[in-house]
Amino acid sequence: MNKKRTSVFKELLGNNIVLLSLMVISPVIICGDTLRNAAALVYAFSAITFLAVTISSFVPKRLPYTLKVIIYALISSVVYIPVKWAAQEFFPGAVVRIGIYFPLLAVNSLIIFRSESELYRMPKNAMIVRLIFYILGFDAVMLITGFIRELFAYGTINEKIVDINTLISGLSQPFGGFIFLGLFCGFYRWIRILVRNRKNEIRSDADVSGQ
Amino acid sequence: MTKKTRKERLVWLDIMITLLALELMSYFYYGVRSLVLGGVCIVVSLISEIVCLRLMNRTFTADDLTCTSDALIIALMMPAVMDYKIASIACIFAVIAAKNIFGGRRNMIFSPAAAAYVFMLTSWGKKLLLYPEPHVKAGIFDVPDGLVSSTSYVYNTTGKIDLTDFEIFMGNFSGPAGSVSILLLIVAAVMLMLRRDISVGAFIGTIAGTAFPACIMPISNTSPVKYALVTNMVLFAAVYIISDRRIAPQKEYYAFFYGLFIAVFSYIVVLTTGKENAVVIISVLFTPVALGFRNLEKKIALAHEEVFAIKQEAALVESEASDSGDEEISAETEDNGSE
Amino acid sequence: MFLVNDLIALLAANLILTQALGTSTIFIAADSRKNLVGTAFVITVFTFFGSAAAYYADKLLPEKYSDFKLLIYVISIGILYVILLSALYFISRKNFENSRKYIHLSVFNCAVMGTLLTVSERAASDSSFMGLKNYMTAGLEAGIGFITAALILTAAYRKLNSAKVPASFRGFPAMLVYLGIISMAVYSLI
Repeated sequence: MNKKRTSVFKELLGNNIVLLSLMVISPVIICGDTLRNAAALVYAFSAITFLAVTISSFVPKRLPYTLKVIIYALISSVVYIPVKWAAQEFFPGAVVRIGIYFPLLAVNSLIIFRSESELYRMPKNAMIVRLIFYILGFDAVMLITGFIRELFAYGTINEKIVDINTLISGLSQPFGGFIFLGLFCGFYRWIRILVRNRKNEIRSDADVSGQ
Repeated sequence: MTKKTRKERLVWLDIMITLLALELMSYFYYGVRSLVLGGVCIVVSLISEIVCLRLMNRTFTADDLTCTSDALIIALMMPAVMDYKIASIACIFAVIAAKNIFGGRRNMIFSPAAAAYVFMLTSWGKKLLLYPEPHVKAGIFDVPDGLVSSTSYVYNTTGKIDLTDFEIFMGNFSGPAGSVSILLLIVAAVMLMLRRDISVGAFIGTIAGTAFPACIMPISNTSPVKYALVTNMVLFAAVYIISDRRIAPQKEYYAFFYGLFIAVFSYIVVLTTGKENAVVIISVLFTPVALGFRNLEKKIALAHEEVFAIKQEAALVESEASDSGDEEISAETEDNGSE
Repeated sequence: MFLVNDLIALLAANLILTQALGTSTIFIAADSRKNLVGTAFVITVFTFFGSAAAYYADKLLPEKYSDFKLLIYVISIGILYVILLSALYFISRKNFENSRKYIHLSVFNCAVMGTLLTVSERAASDSSFMGLKNYMTAGLEAGIGFITAALILTAAYRKLNSAKVPASFRGFPAMLVYLGIISMAVYSLI
């Protein structure tokens, strides 16, 4: 049970596509300034990516790389259409607020490149699990970013006013997104290094005691 | 203690002395509030620096006190009645985001003070650009009122300055606490240049880059060069930001052009948009130019070293060849002698 | 004098500094001069010709089918992708192996797709912008913006990847903060 929990933890936090691989960062930087926008992007990314990657996994592997990439992009562009219609129902105004970053999610590098280089080489079940963790990783980063930036830039949480004395309006701007994401990335890597060093220490202690 | 380390500490000391003089002048005009603001900036910067160094597994040494001079520069660029929380956040940003993330004082990319100023401008622009009148002293915890636009703003928008030369030199006009004391800044500039604590090339380039366009494209017809130099923090930035030896190119002629380009660009921005204190913003924007110059200097130095090494090798080969030639001649001479 | 203002306007519209489009690609481009030239050139070609394709797509597509715009753009970029690869193969087979990676990297990139969508959005809000010349100029400006941002990053690349930078910030995180501070300076000018 412990092993399963560790492996879930490792998958969720160890291989974050945003903080480690710097994929799909444009929506996080530009649109991750409020929790509402973040929620809309989380829905869009999760739906488009999961459906597009799953459907694209049935594309024959023997096709040339170029053709496969074009087919993946076409599939995700088609998947985007109903996802957008649903977003207009569930998140009214979000599609307009998010602007071009909504359709851009349909051609994100996870669908176009990472799927081809990693996911489609795995067995289907493992691929689905890995994909879900990638999506959850992005969702977590998006929501945390949206929450913190909204809190300190606007003094609200989900548009409800919170008592914050000093607001940093620059956090709501693109440059604020760049700087915040850079700091977040660095913090995440620092935690990873700490955890890895601790594991190595435990392992070396175990070796020594085993001797 | 190495020569370089000793020099770094002395540079810091000289700069701190000049900044403290400006801080005293600010106290004269704005009271104890400006001193407390400076103190808050210094304490917050020190704590942030210590925490950062601990996280990087480094010990705090006397050289790391440069964070205090950066803090005082930030304090002197603000209104004397700035909110302490905003000042603290700006100092934390300067120490962490603009300096220690890139490796601290050993790997400087941005001027921490300039980056912090731009950060404050984008986040609290209205509060940053309203100043108390000189001799209006606010209490330590008072909420300031009766704030006015700076003289630079008035000059940028109307082209008029209604001040005597004495008032300009003594800093008796509204503006950032440290950048208005023109006489003190001139003395500081001369002193720091003579002691090689700041880049002479960058300073002269900045002054030339402001004076020359001001002659050709004046904002006002009355003393355009004088007013161009004393407003918009040009002199202050020329001394403490653009001529900062940690950022400016090392070779003086590169530093001259670096300062010149920044000054020309910022003058044109002031002329066309009326943007206040544009020189600080442009100095941050020109960071890649400074880095480009430094890369060029390194490449030239490496090329010189290579050429020198090749010449040395050639000289060694030549001397070996001549030695072996001498040996042969002396061996021949011996043989002839023996025959 | 107005050159300075034009430069500031160009920076203010820069797709990386103000829209964060193509940020991951630029980190790869700034790695070496060869990568910079290759990636920047290919992205500029894609944005330039892609914008022309976007113009015809916007002109011919009825308003009620605007949701299919992305699909049309993807088809256009896909065709351009194949044409570029074929052209590179037939022009110089020797360079094909080394240079095709730039085309693979640039196609369906945020910088390229983002440019098409931005230009289309601009034309939708300002009808006077609707013209082939304007579209292609905007595409070219986007490519130049990418090159500018790549040069800005290249200047600091060595320092940002130096051993003096703390390990957890070395590389991408430091680059993000660096670009953020430059972007902040651009923002404060507008």
